[in-house]
Amino acid sequence: MYQRIENVTFIIAFAFYVVSALLFLIQISKLSKRVEKVGVLTTLAGLVLHTVAMAARTIGAGRLPFSNQYEFALSFAWGIVLSFLILFALYRFGAIGAFVLPLAILVMGYASMQNKTVRPLMPALQSIWLTFHVGTAILSYGSFALACAISVIYLIDSKRTSEHKILAEPEVSDILSYRVVVFGFMMLTIVIISGAIWAQKAWSRYWAWDPKETWSLITWIIYAIYLHMRLRKNWRGKHAAWFSIIGFVSVIFTFVGVNILLPSIHSYVN
Amino acid sequence: MNRRTPKIIRFASSLKVAIVLLILIAAYIVIGTLLPQHGDPSLYLERYPRAGSLIIALSLDKAYSSLIFRVLMALFSLNLTLCTVISMKGQVKQLDKGFFPSFQSEEFVIEDVEREKLLAYCNRRRYTIADDGTVIKAGTYRFGVLGATITHIGILVLFIGAVIGSRSASDETVNLLPGNQHRFEKQGFTITLDDFHMTFQESGAVQQYISTLTIADDDGTTTSEALWVNKPLHHKGLGFYQANFGWASNLQIADDSGAVVAGGLMRSGYSYFYQPSHLTIYLYNYYPEMGIGHQDQPVKMSEREIDPYYAVILYEFGEPVGSYIVAPGDHIHYKDLHIYFTHSVAYTGLLVRKDLSYPIVLTSFIIMLIGLFISFYLYPRFISYEGGKVVTSSRRNGWVFHQNVKSALANKD
Ligand code: HEM
Repeated sequence: MYQRIENVTFIIAFAFYVVSALLFLIQISKLSKRVEKVGVLTTLAGLVLHTVAMAARTIGAGRLPFSNQYEFALSFAWGIVLSFLILFALYRFGAIGAFVLPLAILVMGYASMQNKTVRPLMPALQSIWLTFHVGTAILSYGSFALACAISVIYLIDSKRTSEHKILAEPEVSDILSYRVVVFGFMMLTIVIISGAIWAQKAWSRYWAWDPKETWSLITWIIYAIYLHMRLRKNWRGKHAAWFSIIGFVSVIFTFVGVNILLPSIHSYVN
Repeated sequence: MNRRTPKIIRFASSLKVAIVLLILIAAYIVIGTLLPQHGDPSLYLERYPRAGSLIIALSLDKAYSSLIFRVLMALFSLNLTLCTVISMKGQVKQLDKGFFPSFQSEEFVIEDVEREKLLAYCNRRRYTIADDGTVIKAGTYRFGVLGATITHIGILVLFIGAVIGSRSASDETVNLLPGNQHRFEKQGFTITLDDFHMTFQESGAVQQYISTLTIADDDGTTTSEALWVNKPLHHKGLGFYQANFGWASNLQIADDSGAVVAGGLMRSGYSYFYQPSHLTIYLYNYYPEMGIGHQDQPVKMSEREIDPYYAVILYEFGEPVGSYIVAPGDHIHYKDLHIYFTHSVAYTGLLVRKDLSYPIVLTSFIIMLIGLFISFYLYPRFISYEGGKVVTSSRRNGWVFHQNVKSALANKD
């Protein structure tokens, strides 16, 4: 039964996100300004159903939905939408939804292509650190997605005259994207550290240069460079925006690419 | 950094060098994830005809332990150390309550603010205030300027931990059957495996592998403790990790009178050679729960001992003479011999690791997290006031800080 609830709410949540994305696109193309409110409401409705889907899976599986590609993609999309709504609650920039929701939709689409069967946790995954590790990863990746969307807006706005801008002041999108990266970076640090502590408990080694580990470190280095260039070399605007987009590409590669591409390269060694 | 710092030091500590090194390190470790590691040199030459020799010249076949990688990390550590030490002096100055930045920014101005209101705000937020009657300067979280330094120190401590780890850490695998012992001479204790068992999920998948050990110290104290995956055991500087398991099966060889002439425990995939008959008994596999696979082959359904079978192949003078699937106690008759397995016992594979660096690494994690939190959330904030005009300043979060002050000052109360 929980599987049914999960499947149904997943599809409706997905549909709500698609509708919200369209509404925000209408908003930014200046066809109508009033759709923003509706867009936020449909996004919120989508998030509620998305949460129900995750809760159903949690109850059905008897644990948080954190342990395979499908479950993590489901949670990742949830983190993206949640960070968007939190940012909206703080600063009222609904237009960002036009760029964030497509990312959430893509991640959910990716989730729907994965194997959904609930599998019991193998012994190495049975750890409190799994919750901590993946929970912070959701927040971190969600923030990086949001920062990437804001950076895209910045790049578009920087080419437009003031009455056609998506967000009134590009300086604001610049600094917002920076603050969101800061939060994501903080969380990514916790992701890597909690992963290391967990690996020490499960496998006796806190770091083993496994491709997934290494790629998360690469992502971390990219954002560390971004933060330093901003603070010390006063990097603003375009450079910073491109950097935050590159950072997000690295996030996606760490999440998807490493699973799809690298194991096959490595498999023949084993 | 002041002008008297020698040029070479200024260069070595510069952010430019840091970023070049970070990019080189990132590129190096990325290639490490794309290439198989620790293969035979010929493998790379064969597989990558063009780049093979370059791969070997740059030690990319063992990227994470190569000299090049260590040199890059050493240079990076040097750069980070210099830059941290050099910038510390300026930061200490900024801790002083009399320190204020120059308020030049034209962006972050709030007009028409009442003096009293601003003072009330600053007092509420525990700013230190310098007020000469006309100009007010207020600042808070001055210690936040140390955030970056604390973060950098955390990273350096991590590197120290990693170096100590790579020099001193060692591990070994110990396989034990229930009742078996293993002695750790240097540490002065002996472990005995009291029990090893698996628990199962409904589906038959293993839920957990649990080993119970008795540790007997040379001074006479004994303790008994269980360990499983994700719950290692630590004793006298050694960590015991549940890493592996397997089956040992009890082989018996009897003659026609029924008298056992040879036998003992053997692992799957191993052979026993019975010299008098030149007979090799090869235990191909043990199936605790056997099923039948695609091509009528036996397959292992799970590790639960529900319906156990042994797959056995016999060789005489090196030639295969028969293959069998037998249950425990089933006899294989071969000439005048009875060959059978009575039962199997699961053995545990423990990884025993000594790594003194882990506490250092844990400490570095804590330092880093504290440093990051201070950098990003407890950064210094400054406000100046003159004739109704407020200017806010914070290097790390200008606009948001400005908005916060603005909305706080706009509030009625
Ligand atoms: C990957 C390693 C590094 C990490 C994680 C790191 C972390 C940080 C953090 C979190 C900050 C505060 C940034 C902000 O508030 O936006 C910072 C600032 C800074 N870092 Fe690093 N850092 C690293 C490497 C380096 C290196 C190698 C240098 C040497 C050139 C360096 C030089 C600086 C400087 C000069 C500041 C600014 C300090 C200030 O003005 O307050 N960092 N670092």
